[in-house]
Amino acid sequence: MEVTTQQTAAPSSLPTPPPDKLLDGEPAIAELNKIDSDIDIDFQSDLLHTPVSGPTQGGLSRLPVNGEAQRGGTGNGDVILGPKEEGRGEGGKEVEMKGVGSRRPSVEDFDLMTTLGTGTFARVWLVRPSGSPPTENAPLFALKQLKKVDIIRLKQCEHVRNERSILEVCRPHPFITHYICSWQDRNSLYLLLEYSPGGEIFGYLRRARRFDFRTTQFYAAEIAMILVFLHNHGIVYRDLKPENILLDARGHVKLVDFGFAKVVGDRETYTLCGTPEYLSPEVIQSKGHGKAVDWWALGVLIYEMSCGFPPFYDNSPFAIYEKIVAGRISFPSILPEETKDIVRKLCTKDLSARLGNMCGGGHQVMAHPFFRGVHWQELENQVHPGPIVPNLRHPGDTKYFDQYDPPSTSARDEYTDEMFEKHDASFRDF
Amino acid sequence: MSLPEAYLDEINALNREILKSKPTDVLQFCANFFNRRLEAQRVEFLLSVSNNSGFSSSNTFGAMPSSSAYVGGESLFPGSGANLGGPPPSGGRESPFSGTITEEDEDVGQSPTTPSFRPAALGGPSLSNPNLAAPPPPSPGQLLFSPRGRFTFGNDQPPHSGPSHLSPSIHLSPNSASPDFPSNYNMSRRTSVSAESLVPSSSNEEWNPPVYPKTSEQLNRLKTAVSGNFLFMHLDDDQSGQVLSALMEKPIPRKGTRVITQGDVGDFFYVVEKGSFDVYVNSAGSMLPGLDGMGKKVNSIDPGGSFGELALMYNAPRAATIISTTSHNILWALDRVTFRRILMENTFKRRRMYEAFLEEVSILSSLVPYERAKIADALEPFTFHPGDVIIQQGDPGDNFYIIESGEAEVVKHGINEPIKRLTKGDYFGELALLNDAPRAASVRAVTRVKLATLGKDGFQRLLGPVAEIMRRNDPRLAEGVDPLSNVGSPGPSGGFDGGKDVVEEAAGRGRAVEV
Repeated sequence: MEVTTQQTAAPSSLPTPPPDKLLDGEPAIAELNKIDSDIDIDFQSDLLHTPVSGPTQGGLSRLPVNGEAQRGGTGNGDVILGPKEEGRGEGGKEVEMKGVGSRRPSVEDFDLMTTLGTGTFARVWLVRPSGSPPTENAPLFALKQLKKVDIIRLKQCEHVRNERSILEVCRPHPFITHYICSWQDRNSLYLLLEYSPGGEIFGYLRRARRFDFRTTQFYAAEIAMILVFLHNHGIVYRDLKPENILLDARGHVKLVDFGFAKVVGDRETYTLCGTPEYLSPEVIQSKGHGKAVDWWALGVLIYEMSCGFPPFYDNSPFAIYEKIVAGRISFPSILPEETKDIVRKLCTKDLSARLGNMCGGGHQVMAHPFFRGVHWQELENQVHPGPIVPNLRHPGDTKYFDQYDPPSTSARDEYTDEMFEKHDASFRDF
Repeated sequence: MSLPEAYLDEINALNREILKSKPTDVLQFCANFFNRRLEAQRVEFLLSVSNNSGFSSSNTFGAMPSSSAYVGGESLFPGSGANLGGPPPSGGRESPFSGTITEEDEDVGQSPTTPSFRPAALGGPSLSNPNLAAPPPPSPGQLLFSPRGRFTFGNDQPPHSGPSHLSPSIHLSPNSASPDFPSNYNMSRRTSVSAESLVPSSSNEEWNPPVYPKTSEQLNRLKTAVSGNFLFMHLDDDQSGQVLSALMEKPIPRKGTRVITQGDVGDFFYVVEKGSFDVYVNSAGSMLPGLDGMGKKVNSIDPGGSFGELALMYNAPRAATIISTTSHNILWALDRVTFRRILMENTFKRRRMYEAFLEEVSILSSLVPYERAKIADALEPFTFHPGDVIIQQGDPGDNFYIIESGEAEVVKHGINEPIKRLTKGDYFGELALLNDAPRAASVRAVTRVKLATLGKDGFQRLLGPVAEIMRRNDPRLAEGVDPLSNVGSPGPSGGFDGGKDVVEEAAGRGRAVEV
């Protein structure tokens, strides 16, 4: 169980057993973190974008699985089949897959097992490579399917393109869902992503109603690290909320849904997007916004995790916005002072006074007393499991995901030939 | 006789869910919904029981401080729930992340808390747990970390009776166990919203907003009508003028015409110029067919009133149905893309202008573009009228100003003539960023003057001390030569705080060294 190699024993102040012990008892979890070389796939990343016609000889193709998934791998025993050496450089473990060969994957290469989530124009499936034995240790992925017709109807082409390129940039980050590859067919775009079996923090939060200080601090810390990373890359995320934060098998966060993320550099951007309760005043008032909106949203998130409800809420969205613009926050008396303080400082309307947007950037956020005691390096290395460790019965256990109705088709969903002619060029480089 | 309120709450919640999910199998969906509700309600009940039983004070979970964070997944016995939202256990903060619990399975919740839990648990038959009646509870260590085969396949007992238990989307009922929990907060998942993505037009292709002529009375009425709306409140005169001009007349000749329909997509915002309209809301969330399909009348709107403002932000389903109640009505309509485009184009131009102005400020000459963008981002616009005093000689200096448009003059006590005229792109008061010296002169608006301003505090919060920034260009300054020694005392040429000449002199000194 190599997953545990980077772990050190827990501090002695708390009777936490050594993590390897923990994982010994949980073979399934360990298995999940370790996509084993001899079971699994590897599509060839550089070939993914160069469709090759012709028979595949029923052979095996390869697909790099980045980050967390291969963390536990030792790298030995990898056999790379076919003309695949060149230009990989991913250093990832590989997972092999029958019948795919040297071409882009298609949706037929996967068994769509169940729906993990739905959005306005996307549906996320839990998938396993088709033909792989339906055993408990089959490699699992999340496949995000985006309907071209809806993307066009909602004028979201730009956002969809951003999503893919940004996910590519974010590959190395442990707390961001790993992007594996993408492709399209006539009607849909597909993003193959790492599967985070813990489900949304949202579910845990609503069931727990509130998180205690330590739990809130843990998630806020991991999110702060993500934001620092994204902002260093000039990326603004723009849709922070518990619904978009998933847990991996060890309870660390995985940020998903980069549909609104955008490379802004140091410029401002103007498209209103996000989630009503989490919008910042400058977004609501169309003043142009930048990376500072993520720090505002972190303040809202910390408040919501601590209290169970967001600082600005009302029955109608417009009334929510009025409250956000007015900027008054009331705190339940039980909140620790550090929590109140960081929320106040993050949810500051004045951009020259918003924590995270000032001189020192995100590091000033990390230095706030709210994060006192956080060992950032250990956190980044995921030395300890998170405060909530999903209790999975097997790797494909989807009990932490909501149940969704199967997709329905209606006339409105049809991506007509006419639309294809007119719009498909905008998906050309996807 | 009316239906019980609790029932109506449930039905309304279900209606919302139905609308949101548009299930194909309605019956199954409803069944799942009520199963979830039932579960949620029982969890609530258990929570409240455990709260009242004083269970929270028995800190048998001391070894696992973060357990209180989590109420048992779909586990029905959230053993640690009583501590929810409470302050962290004292003394536990030294090693915040080392304490860990495995998410409780059904067999965890019973453990140290079995005594206080069992009675409540037995009360709810569907919650009954085969393990629950099996004492003695294991010790916490064993409980959490012993390999008990929970992760092996096959020998795991299916813990729940149905898939509906697995759903995390619990709609907690309003009768909360926690005193300060809001009763009206909708706990369900929230969907993201987004407007069309807009990109500012490049400088060579000017975009002009549509202009629909209006009389000055009409304009005044419109201004009043939108004055209370936060989407309009912060607009400057240019933006506001363009927005009001872009409102398009829309006659509604007949009585009984539906202007907007609840549940439909919305693109327009309307102001009533003439006539009267009724507002109907169907609690199902959208207008339904049939006689009462519009729902209940909740309001009416007369001239000067407005509706549909959310459509100016993004495309969202209309929250109400609006229908005319008189004939010969007139509305003013504004669509989202036009509105947002006006705001964006103005803001974009102004930002670039600020950045260009900032490049000219001598003491800020060493700023990199990123820093200028940051300052431009934080500059606040202000407007002064002819004769207004913008800064007053002798006052403490806090803010730095850039003139966006209009004309101002610099005056000084004892000198009759204005010392200097300031126009677009000129700046003053920048020495306030450096020191606390009182203003050395006054600046007065000659015409209507638009300014952008930033305080010393704001500047320093964003970029650090200005003195440091100035030193970047001048190694000599870093060696201890005080850059302020000359700047602080007004020289003969400028003679007021922020006179361009004074500062250029100071900054010029720095340059001389550098070259």
